[in-house]
Amino acid sequence: MSDRKIVKVCCGTGCLANGSGVLFEKLLEKSKIKGDFAVDILVKSTGCNGLCEKGPLIKIEPDGITYCKVKLSDIDEIYEKTILKGEAIERLLFSDSSGKKTKSHKDTEFYKRQVKLALRNIGEIDPTCIEDYIERDGYKAIYKALFEMTPEDIIKEVEKSKIRGRGGAGFLTYRKWMGAKKVDSFPKYVVCNGDEGDPGAFMDRSVMEGDPHSIIEGMIICARYLDSHKGYIYIRDEYGLAIKNMKAAIEDAKNHGYLGKNILGSGFDFDIEIVRGGGAFVCGESTALMSSIEGKVGEPRAKYIHSNEKGLWGQPTVLNNVETWANIPLIILKGGEWFAGYGTENSKGTKVFSLVGKVKNTGLVEVPMGTTLRELIFDIGGGIIGNKKFKAVQTGGPSGGCIPEGLLDLKVDFDTLTEAGSMMGSGGMIVMDERTCMVDVARYYIKFLSEESCGKCAPCREGIKRMLEILTDICEGRGKEGDIELLEEICSMVESAALCGLGKTAPNPVMTTLKYFKDEYIEHIENKRCPAGVCKNLTTFFIDSEKCVGCGLCRKNCPADCISGEIKKPHFIDASKCIKCGSCIENCRFSAVKVK
Amino acid sequence: MIIKIDGKECTAQKGEYLLSIARRNGIEIPTLCHSDALPGIGSCRLCIVEVVEKGRSRVVTSCIFPVMGEIEVLTNSKKIRNMRKTLLMLYLARVPENEKIKKLAEEYGAVVPERFSADKSEDCILCGLCVKACESLGSSAISTVNRGVTKKVSTPYDEPSKECIGCGSCAYVCPTNAMKIKEKDGIRTIWNKDFKLIKCEKCGEYFATKEQIEYINKKKGFNLEDEMLCDKCKKKKAGERLKEVFEDYRE
Amino acid sequence: MIEIKDIIEKYPREKRYTLAMLQDVQKQFNYIPRQALMMISEYVDTPLSSLYSMATFYKALSLKPKGKYIIKVCDGTACHIRSSMVLIDEIYNILKIRIGETTEDGMFSLETVNCLGSCAIAPVMVVNDKYYGKVTPAMVREIIKEYGGEKNE
Repeated sequence: MSDRKIVKVCCGTGCLANGSGVLFEKLLEKSKIKGDFAVDILVKSTGCNGLCEKGPLIKIEPDGITYCKVKLSDIDEIYEKTILKGEAIERLLFSDSSGKKTKSHKDTEFYKRQVKLALRNIGEIDPTCIEDYIERDGYKAIYKALFEMTPEDIIKEVEKSKIRGRGGAGFLTYRKWMGAKKVDSFPKYVVCNGDEGDPGAFMDRSVMEGDPHSIIEGMIICARYLDSHKGYIYIRDEYGLAIKNMKAAIEDAKNHGYLGKNILGSGFDFDIEIVRGGGAFVCGESTALMSSIEGKVGEPRAKYIHSNEKGLWGQPTVLNNVETWANIPLIILKGGEWFAGYGTENSKGTKVFSLVGKVKNTGLVEVPMGTTLRELIFDIGGGIIGNKKFKAVQTGGPSGGCIPEGLLDLKVDFDTLTEAGSMMGSGGMIVMDERTCMVDVARYYIKFLSEESCGKCAPCREGIKRMLEILTDICEGRGKEGDIELLEEICSMVESAALCGLGKTAPNPVMTTLKYFKDEYIEHIENKRCPAGVCKNLTTFFIDSEKCVGCGLCRKNCPADCISGEIKKPHFIDASKCIKCGSCIENCRFSAVKVK
Repeated sequence: MIIKIDGKECTAQKGEYLLSIARRNGIEIPTLCHSDALPGIGSCRLCIVEVVEKGRSRVVTSCIFPVMGEIEVLTNSKKIRNMRKTLLMLYLARVPENEKIKKLAEEYGAVVPERFSADKSEDCILCGLCVKACESLGSSAISTVNRGVTKKVSTPYDEPSKECIGCGSCAYVCPTNAMKIKEKDGIRTIWNKDFKLIKCEKCGEYFATKEQIEYINKKKGFNLEDEMLCDKCKKKKAGERLKEVFEDYRE
Repeated sequence: MIEIKDIIEKYPREKRYTLAMLQDVQKQFNYIPRQALMMISEYVDTPLSSLYSMATFYKALSLKPKGKYIIKVCDGTACHIRSSMVLIDEIYNILKIRIGETTEDGMFSLETVNCLGSCAIAPVMVVNDKYYGKVTPAMVREIIKEYGGEKNE
């Protein structure tokens, strides 16, 4: 019998951008070579493995070998040595920050500390192959839900799991479902929110791309509980691959009898339709999303009557986020208690975070609720790039806030983040270092919101407009005395007077940076200086002649040609020509480039 | 059901909006985007009040908040007044010369900081009431355009709209008189479009645009050949006709 | 050549398909021609004003024709703190277009997007559907050359 080797090529968006597509083609071609080998090769393209930083990634099973940053020129060698002979190629293995090489990705610090529930299949299966999903217990939960459980049994398991919505506010999922069940009005709808809009967050994209069936299965279970026959998945227009894979998955599920009329002979009908978003962050807000599905402008409405009672077309609607749906089949299959075995007192299970920014191992991570920020950033994330100093971590997207170094030991869950003035949001985690200006970060989010607010209610629209005016002035050196107080006044009004969740949380980036980094604001306003060297009008770079060894790296990388100096002698920056891009400071290995 | 507003006991129906209960009981809550004739929009946020329920206080929008249980309402607490003050400061920064906003701002002691840029000719506060009026009373000629801080109200492509019938509903409901409506020599100009005004055949006053009458006739299936009468004269005529019928009946 | 009518009539005459119709039109023509807006208005019996409102609300839709190659520079948070704005400056130096503008020859349009979810390879730039990760100002020049740009230099 021949030996079977499975070669998994990561084709998540990150790896694809790094060229994994051609690697897959080449390997596929190689696998078809007939020869006198005792090896049968199966090449698969998988969804995102999470460690995008080291992509393109290739895994070879059953040897458990993982290769990072694979180039097209490496393929022949991988084929000859690893696939045919089972030998690992040292140079392509994962190496951690200390330079230690690891054979399998599962032994790396990055993976070892993770618990993959929502991401259980991603990177392991070919998302376009329903058999791969079924092989890993896929669609088993709907057998249970359709034939062994009553609707009451279903809701009991969800209640026991205590799972809270992964989309932002963390509302208890079973309560949302029960609210919709109680209303005696049909039809009822099941909606998946895949309009992942928080900048810096991509977990939903990865699940939709890498394990679309888990979402479909979760939605079927809820539909069965509610007696709903129609579901919608609302996906951001920018996520081309997610739309493609989700569409294919729906078709496959129908062909296998998991979706459509008379599912698996149970007599229960349920169908799912994909709706493409139109490019509007506010449509991540549930009422705006429903308005968009209805073919209208995505403006939110007040939620005095919840959408689980009156949602899509005025009918009871359960809307959950991608990650929530992906967890549901597991809860049904393994039981709510099992799920609740992970996490903290009031936040059960795991949470997927996209760990990005100035951290070494950027990518997608899933950890039990209650994991500390320090573990996430320094153990899993491997610390800060270039061993610079950590400054803050931003969570929760534009609705969240910046958390300072003093709170690194915070055990991350829904409630602790809210207490710190931020929020869970959908799980974006952006690490910032000493080269990040916190006033610029606040300005960045407010600018984002100024474009993304729907503009319906005055506090959000006018408040954001004026906050942006003030923050831009501060960043450009026109900050005035009284600006901080004015920002605080506007923030506190917008927070309670705005109409929807987006507006009410809009002040968070400003309020948290004011709370934890007020000195940076003062430095900008009073001394007209940006300590991080980001705000161009307030930055002057110079080279410390005592530290400069004259390596010339800054000179070579300067796009403005404003650095001069002889090799092995201190260099100089001509401030009149400097465009303040910061290339020099990023490239200097001796910390000789400084901000005045 | 009895609810307490600013200490006063008020009867309320379940599901009734807080604002209308308050107004019925003579309690004034400021609003800009509210019209009794149209469904609540909840965009101006001036009508925010505090609702205390089970010992917990929260801020709600009274024009669209349905009363479902026995609550206590504070319409003019210090917290609410402060929020309205900041909000009016932002409104005034947007429309610095508008009389209505100037008056409200003064009432709440709101002053615009010098640092804000302003367009002195602006009067629109983007409450969206005109759009709602056009949808339900007019002909959906205008809508909100763009989003976020660049939002505005206009006709498609900023051009005279084919649909506009010049009824002026938009201007009628506008809380800040932002709609420019001009009437001269039997011509009404609104949204960059000219409309011929029709005179009442009885009293001789201009009372509607030609397009408006055609639109109503089409919608209601009236005959175009009918007499052109203004509302006042129509009522008068209907009364006379009733009298005739009544007299016929007596004979 | 696919006509507007063909795109619209793929969908049932229901208001809820308007966004999908508009997106398909946008994809085909790189913008929403006036005629398309009017035809959809008639097809789904919805006022032109409300379609105009949608076309200006959703960022994926544009009323102005866009260039043959649409350069999207991601300005999501991760890209922003890894200096995505420096790329915008560099593109201006090469093509003399700013955000939202199209080159005179109709070849390139420049846009920013709020996160493409590829934060791990920030900063990210996309030309039509091709992704470029960890882009530096020097790479910008090379990428634009790939598409026949840089004639302004």
